[in-house]
Order: sequence, then C-alpha cells, then structure tokens
Amino acid sequence: MRRYRTVSGTIFDLSNYLFLSLFALAAVLPFIYVFAGSFASDAELTKRAFFLIPEKFTTAAYAYIFSTNTIVRSIGVSIYVTTVGTLINLFFTVTMAYALSKRYLAGRNFVLNLVVFSMLFGGGMIPTYLVVRELRLLDTYWALMLPGAISAFNLIIVKNFFQELPAELEDAARIDGCSDPGLLWRIVLPLSMPVLATFTLFYAVGHWNNYYSALLYINEPSKWPLQVILRQIVMLSQMAAGDLNAMDPNFEKPPDQAIKLAVIVVGTLPILLVYPFLQKHFAKGVLLGSVKG
Amino acid sequence: MKTPATSTATATGADATAAGPAATRTGGSTKWGRLRKNRWLYALLTPGLVYFLIFKYVPMWGVLLAFQNFSPYHGFWKSEWVGFEHFRVFFTNPEFLMLLRNSLLLSFYNLIFFFPAPIILALLLNEVRVALFKRTIQTLVYVPHFISMVIVASLTYVFLTTEGGLVNELLDQYFGFKISFLTDPAWFRPIIILQTIWKECGFGTIIFLAALAGVDVEQYEAAVIDGANRWQQLWHITLPAIRSTIVILLILRMGDVLDNGFEQIYLMLNPLNREVAEVFDTYVYFMGITQGAFSYSTAVGLFKSVVGIILVLGANWTAKKFGQSGIY
Amino acid sequence: MRKAKQWAVILTALLLAVSVLSACGGGKGNNAWGDSGSSGGTQADASGNQTGSTGTDAGTSEDRKEPEPEPPMEISIMLPIFKTNYPSDSSPVVQEINKRANVKLHLEWVPNSSYTDKFNITLASGKLPTIIYVPDVKNPNFVNAVKAGAFWEVGGKMRNYPYLSQANPVIMQNSSIEGKNYGVYRGRALGRNGINYRKDWLENVGLEPPKTIDDFYNMLKAFKEQDPDRNGKDDTYGMVLVKWTGQWASGFDIIKLWFGAPNKWGVVDGKLVPEHETPEYLEALRFMKKLYDEKLINQDFAVYDSAKWNDPVVNGQAGVIVDVTDNAARLDDAIHRALAEEGKDQPDVHFVDNMIGVVGDHGLRALPTSGFAGMLAIPKSSVKTEAELDRVLAFLDKMNEPEMQTLANFGLEGVHYTVEDGYAVRIDDTVKLESEVEGLNQMLPFIPEDQGLKVKQTPLRQKTAELQKEAEQYVVANPAEPFISTVYSQKGQQLDNIINDARIKYIVGQISEEELLKAFETWRRSGGDELVKEMNELYAAANG
Repeated sequence: MRRYRTVSGTIFDLSNYLFLSLFALAAVLPFIYVFAGSFASDAELTKRAFFLIPEKFTTAAYAYIFSTNTIVRSIGVSIYVTTVGTLINLFFTVTMAYALSKRYLAGRNFVLNLVVFSMLFGGGMIPTYLVVRELRLLDTYWALMLPGAISAFNLIIVKNFFQELPAELEDAARIDGCSDPGLLWRIVLPLSMPVLATFTLFYAVGHWNNYYSALLYINEPSKWPLQVILRQIVMLSQMAAGDLNAMDPNFEKPPDQAIKLAVIVVGTLPILLVYPFLQKHFAKGVLLGSVKG
Repeated sequence: MKTPATSTATATGADATAAGPAATRTGGSTKWGRLRKNRWLYALLTPGLVYFLIFKYVPMWGVLLAFQNFSPYHGFWKSEWVGFEHFRVFFTNPEFLMLLRNSLLLSFYNLIFFFPAPIILALLLNEVRVALFKRTIQTLVYVPHFISMVIVASLTYVFLTTEGGLVNELLDQYFGFKISFLTDPAWFRPIIILQTIWKECGFGTIIFLAALAGVDVEQYEAAVIDGANRWQQLWHITLPAIRSTIVILLILRMGDVLDNGFEQIYLMLNPLNREVAEVFDTYVYFMGITQGAFSYSTAVGLFKSVVGIILVLGANWTAKKFGQSGIY
Repeated sequence: MRKAKQWAVILTALLLAVSVLSACGGGKGNNAWGDSGSSGGTQADASGNQTGSTGTDAGTSEDRKEPEPEPPMEISIMLPIFKTNYPSDSSPVVQEINKRANVKLHLEWVPNSSYTDKFNITLASGKLPTIIYVPDVKNPNFVNAVKAGAFWEVGGKMRNYPYLSQANPVIMQNSSIEGKNYGVYRGRALGRNGINYRKDWLENVGLEPPKTIDDFYNMLKAFKEQDPDRNGKDDTYGMVLVKWTGQWASGFDIIKLWFGAPNKWGVVDGKLVPEHETPEYLEALRFMKKLYDEKLINQDFAVYDSAKWNDPVVNGQAGVIVDVTDNAARLDDAIHRALAEEGKDQPDVHFVDNMIGVVGDHGLRALPTSGFAGMLAIPKSSVKTEAELDRVLAFLDKMNEPEMQTLANFGLEGVHYTVEDGYAVRIDDTVKLESEVEGLNQMLPFIPEDQGLKVKQTPLRQKTAELQKEAEQYVVANPAEPFISTVYSQKGQQLDNIINDARIKYIVGQISEEELLKAFETWRRSGGDELVKEMNELYAAANG
C-alpha cells in the first residue's frame, strides 16, 4: 500500500478510473447487445441493427434451447471435458515444468529443445488423427483431453516461473529431508498460486472454446461439446440465401437470429464466471514473508 | 487465433533478476549416481515427455506431406512424391511478396500497438486501490475474448459501414463527410489492430496481473520510506517485476510472426481491400478449396515454421545478450 | 456381411428373376443418358425423356417379387446436419423407413459447417460408411479417391432401377468425373434463379412487372425515387447485392445472362471462350456500374454480409433481390412475420413476387444451378460386392418413391403432420420435428423430382414451382461444367480473384474501364492462357 496525497496523484487516479470505466464499457457493450438480442424476437433483430434493450421481451429462444436434450447434454459434456481436461493439463504441465526448471538435470536441454521444436513444427491434422485412432481413443472423451495435454507455450512459461523461485527455499527444505516431489507439492505449488490460477484459467478456456477436436475425433453426436453446436448455429445463419446445400425444396428458414445469440450467451456465461473465482489468487503479496532477507 | 497472453515469471523481491540458479545437486560424482539422485525429477519429467513423444513426435511425419501430393485416400505411402514442387509454386507465385508483406506488416503493427496494450492496462489496473472496482473492471474487460469473431465482424460492419453505420452517420452530420472504413485499404490494418486490442487486451492482462501479484509488498513500503514517488516506484519495482514476463512473451511471439489469425482476416477481407488484407493464412485456405490441398498447406506451414524457429532462437539469443533469461 | 456368399447367390437369382419380369412389363428405357459425351451445350429439355420404365409398377417395392424376405441390410450413411437436433437411429420415422425399405439404418450426422473437414478425415481414416454424401464432386480429394478406385461407378447400374433410371442426363453429365458417375446425385431444381421483387412497391409506383432490361432499370429507379413504401422518407433504393460472389448467390451472374453473356464459358466458333472476354459481359458490367453510380443498389455491397441479404427487403429499404426464386416465399413469410409483430399484417396478401428474368437483345436467358446438391457415393471398402451394391442402390431407388419422400420430409402422418386439402401441415412442436424427422431428407436423391406431399402451396409457392419448371427451357448451361481442370486447381482461385476484384473495383469506380481491361490481360498472363488452352482441349475431346 502506497501512501501519498498529491494533487497530481489524485488527478491521475481520477483519470485512470475514468479511462478504465470507459474501456470496460466499450468492452462489454457488444455483449450486452448479444444478451439483449437473445431475448428479442427475430423480427426485431432484423429491424434494429444494434440495441441494448429489446422492445419486446421474449424467452422463446431459451425455451427452444432447453427444451431439447442436445444443447443441455452438450453443456454437460463441455463442463466435464473442461474440468477433467484442465486437471490433466495441470498435472502434465506442472510436473514437467518443475523437472525442467532444474538446470543441473542431465538431459534437460535436450528435452527443452524437443519442446521448443514441437512448438513450431508439427505433423498436422491427419497424422495426429491417425495416432488417436491407433490408440483407440476415437469417439471417447479422452480424445478431447489428451492430444492437447500440454501446451509447449504454457510449459515454458511455467518452467521459467519455477526457475525464479529463490534457491534458498529449496535448500532449506532439503536440509529438512524433503524429496523432490514433496518439495514440489509442499513448497513450490503453494507459492505459485497466481501462476497456477492463470494457467488453470487458460487451459480451461482453451477446452471450453475448443470445437475442432470434437469435430475430428467424435462421431457420436451425443458426445459433442457445446462449441460444436454453437459453431454450427452461427455458421448456419451465415449461409448465403442461395446455398443449395441448405435449401431443400421444403426448407423454410434458417434458425432464428435470437437463437444464435442465446446459444452464444449460454456458451459464454459459464466460463466467464470462472474468472472471478480465480481472482482471489491474484491478490498481492502472496510471497510475503516466505523469504527472509 | 491469436491469444497473445500467457506466461509469467514472477519475481520475488530479492531475486528480481531472472538467472537465479537453484541449488545445485552434485551429490554423486558418477553419472549414474547423479541420475539416481535425481530419480524423482526424472519421474516427474516422464508423463510430459511421453506426451510429447506420442502426440507430437509420432505424428511428425506429417511434415513430409509438404513434399507429396497427398491424397487422404491413398494415404502416406501411396501418395505421389513431388519434392520441392509445392515450394516452387509457392515462391514463384506473383502474389508471394504481397502476402509476405501483408503478413509481416500486420504482425509488426500487432507487436507495436497491440503487445503493449495489455501491459499498460495491467499497470493501470494495478494502480487502482478500490478492490471491488478493480475486480469488476478486470472481469468486464475480459469478456470480449469470448465473443465469437463472427459477431465482432458483424458489429464492425454495423458501426462502420457507409450506409447508415453509426460512425459515418455522426461524421456526416457533424462534419459533412463519410469514410469508407470497410473498403478503403488504408483503413484495413488499423481496424484489425483496433479489433484485436478490443478483443484481447483484457484477457491479455491476466498474465501480467499474475506477475504483479507476486511482487513483494514490503518493497513498496521500503520505497515509500525512502521517499520514492509513484513513477519511481513504477520504474524501479513494478516494471522489473514483469520484465522477464514481457521478455519471454516477446520471444515466444516471434514464432508466430507469419500467423495472422485466419478467421478475423477472412471476415474482414473483401475484393476492395484484398491487396493489403490477404495473408498466408487466407491464401492457403482458398487454395485448399480448389486443391484439397493438404500438401500445399503443409508446405506453407513448413515455411512459416522455419521462419518462426529462426526468429525465436534469434530473439532468445538477443535476450540473453541483454542479461535476460530467455527460454533456456 | 458374414453370410455374404449365400446371400449373393440368392440375390443374383432374384435379380435375374426381377429383370426378366420387368423386361416383360415395359420398355427397355435405356436412352436416357447421352453418355457418349455430349456436351452440356444446348440441352433445352431437361427431364422431358420419360422412359418406358415408368410405365411399370415403379412404386412397388421388391418385396412383391421376392418370395422370401432377406434380413434388413445394415446401411450407415454419413450426412450433414443443418440444425442442432437430429433424428437418432431409434426415431419412429427411421424405424418406419427401416421397415418399408427392409434396411437397418445408422445415421452418422456431421455438422454441415465442418462437413468438408470431416469428409477428408474420413477418407484418410479408411473407415467409410455404406453411403457417404459428397458435397463437392470436383473436390480433388474425392477425385483422387475415385481415380484410385475407392468408389463404385454407378451410372450404368442406375438404369436398372425404376426411379434412378429417370435421372436427368444433363445433371448426370454435370456430376460426372471423366464421363462416369460415381454416386447418385441429389437432385435440385435446375431453373432456380430469377428476380424477386416487392409487388406492393411495384403497384405503389404504378408500374407493371418488367419485361425488358430497360423496364427493370426503370423499376429500380422508381423504387429509389418515388417513395414506394409511402413513408414520406427518401430511404429506399432498388436492389440489394451482397459480397458473396460464389457460384450461385451472385446477382450479377444472373443479370449478365440477360445481356447475352455466356455462363462462365461461351462457345464462339466452336471454341470455348471465357465469359469475361465477350462484349456482352462488358455491357452487363457497364449496366451494373450505372446502377451503382445512380445509387440504385446498396453502396456497400462489396462488404455486405450474405447472411443479411434478405433484411433490406424485409425492412423496407430495398425492393429487389436477384437470386433463387424460392427466396420469394421466404421473403414474403419474413415480411408477414415482421408485420404481424406490429399488428399490421395482411395474411392474404403476397408482398413479394418473382419472375424468371427480363429480356435484352438475346431473348430470355436464365442461370441454371448445376441441378444437384452433392452426391451420395458408395465406397468399395464398405460395400464389397456387386450384390451389396445392388441392394444399396435399391434402397436409394426406393427412397424416390413418393411415400418414402413424404416420410423422410414430413414424418409419420398424424404424428408429425396432418393432411389438409392434400397438403401437409406440420405440427407446431419444432423440437419433436427436429429430433425425429428433420434432416432425414438429406438422404433423398429426388430423382426425378420431389413427388411427395408438399406444404400448403400458397399462390406464391405454386407460382414459384411453375416458374422453376418453366425456367428450365431458358437455362444457359455452362459447357465446361463437367470438366476437371488441373490448371484451375492450381491457379483457379487466383485467376478468379483477378477478375472478381477487378469487376467490383470497376463497379464502385475505383478503377476505370481501361484498367478493367488491363486486368483481363493480367488474367491471361497469370495463367488464363493456359486455362483456356486446357479447357479447349477437354472440350474438343468431349465433343470431337
């Protein structure tokens, strides 16, 4: 906590608050439109290009969404994959990052090279698909969680973070007879909460937003996560009126615009709510007192 | 899609400089002795290593598709080999230079204008003392990251079109003229950057906020006692705390310099601004439609990877020269 | 298919019996296909040739001729889904289809927005379903697979079936690869394109439906200047165009035909000429430019999202859309819905009308669609014997029966729809419809056409159906439609971009006509020359 009472300081503070408020407003306005639009009628959405409050309020879109199993089930799938998947991510990433953070470990540089190289060079969709198939993971939830278990990018950052922790901590613990895993679990992790919170969030968001894996590996529609459905709806309404594929002789009309917006709301709100819960880990001074002198 | 965020290395007060070595373990003097001593570390290393081997290195043969005319039905062994043909077609394409220029420029602008934005925002947020306000703003600015690009493009149109778009209506009313934001090539890059800032800035602050959270509060107190004002505190305590984060992010970013985020560009691309808008990613997409081009896109991807790795290693070396920790 | 051999023997015997019996029943019916490589050139009458086989009892299933029922054939089909709900294998409608067609269906649904990716992956995985929908016949991955022998050639066999034999020769041609057909095409109306316009506006400005290009121009002008929606504001314009200039959603491609320009490739002195090198094309472009300059079309069409195409007409900003004529009904419905919201609807009035086109110096010319929306292909890896192939084809053939079409389109009578005045009226429960019926019609080949029940035909819909049929006589085919060009697959995208960008820039005034012509030269130099040469070689081979 800094204590100061200067005029320029106060002016700065006020402008800062103002600026941040404006920026936050600009950030959130379009989402308000999406939210409002999901409660509007199709006709209104056609008529008004952008609005914040619907003229006629209707929950028809949500009634449609929740009246069938498909979307509800896909939300369940998404939640499951996100939760378990993130735990898997954390496990793999943290263990490897910790091991690699020890500069004295023989073979470390070689492994690091492997990681960096794989970050930029990759086999692509088909070879990965074949691996998943050979492992008999097709049409299982594992296929959504294992192929992306570690992001090299994240791994390097977490590793760097571990490298920064003061050596004295480790020395002190070892003197007390602590082994490596114990060190990791009892000392390093509690000190790394902001970083862990950050990457929990990143991995979770990654899982939640991922539709591509499901597309490739899952054939069984009951296992589709929400994003597959969401993308489908959004893309459907993008189609040109004359697209032959869509226009069966009896095809009446593309999905309601309101439904599109409602699915977006349903697809976004859950993950949005995760962040505030993690925010307490970003509080200051976490390392306070852990190192003396 | 580009999510620039991620990373951190936080600094505790004393070890602000990144290179702090952990305790060395030289217990056993024989190689096997050392290996045995570190057996737990190797155990911890194993899951991740296995992951990389199975899911990254086993499929690595896919890179060779760039040298074939791959047909999914024939599979790898029976597809025709064409050597460097795809690369030849790619480099001799009259549009190659244009694509290169567009991709590089867009990334470059991105680096200059977008990259600092989350940092600045994080610093500003850091100055906020009312916790509720801070948390609220943090949550609000992070929302745009989740809004589909399709909606963003659609709203961009609504605001910027010359036919009744809000911005142009205002311009027309008060200043008497309109600007063709969406068709004028000169406006393309600024609009893309502005969209990116709007969409990703908030999410990007997360990593920096995490870094800032690790700063030892005692340091600030000590500084205040020594009579430091806010700017000095910023310069001497806050910035160094996130310096290593910034550096590592920059280095890793170099690998993506020829990636521009397909979806955003595709949505904003039209025949009138194609000469500045078309980048490798969209080019490959369109080629893919007519060619079914696994091979071609792999070839282009390979090119991008090579450029990326050179830049990453170069950036890393440069960082080391300046005393920063880099990747290794 | 474990007991395949036994069944193969029995099947063959039965087939022999069937063919002998049907030979007695009616004519041979073999001339339906001009598969001696006649070019698509001027094929005025499309479905005219009904062969004798319709005379036979085409609608009856084979059951009558087979004394012993065989076990239902297990058929897996990969299809695109256009909604978020889909019928499962246990849906009552699917069960009914199973019963009537003596099959056991397993449906593999793929979100259509990602169908191509899934298609490619499926090819690579080697695990193909019994029937797979192929969205783009010219997709190089598919073509390569065909050349490698992955799929059965069915063109010849289709003649053995009562319905499949009625396949339209033009469409067979269009969907062929090197003259052969590797799947059953999914038929769509050929003559779908035309003009949709707001009838009420036309009446308000006191004009008759346009007959000539000049009339059309006047209509647009009146829509802009004479306040056709009578709201006292100068906020209307003539026609709305979008940025999507893909195969069939381009208003311009329809309009250019009125001026006599060819459809992608024209035949001049027996040689193929690209459309943009004809003087009529240029004339059409000039016309478009005129429309743009006089603000008769939306000034931001180059960035206008095709998803919103109908909106300006519904909102009372524009009055004309040149596109598929069945859009008229959709526009009309949307306008009714919007008015209903404000309590101002007039349910019996049609606000929108449509027509085939207007006439310039070259008579009435209409832009055809290819006539089909993808194909249903049968992979050899999952259908191993000809006997099985025959059964699969029999299934597909059966799905052309009117009752089966109705079943797949509407579901079970009394459950999913009721019949009023000979028309189907769907129940209101959209969710039930979507989870039990909707999407099943993706597997219908509609050969020769949709003969099932239809929805209530409002006058507008009836007119549209007649219009589309009538338009078939006026369609101008693309003589190069069935050709697969290597040059195009390498440089096609770029070449198209050169022309497309140039013409749009010309229309909006960014470049002059001179520069436009220069762009055409660039096209030649960047590979256009090669393309023309190759196309002409293919053309000569096909017609020589």
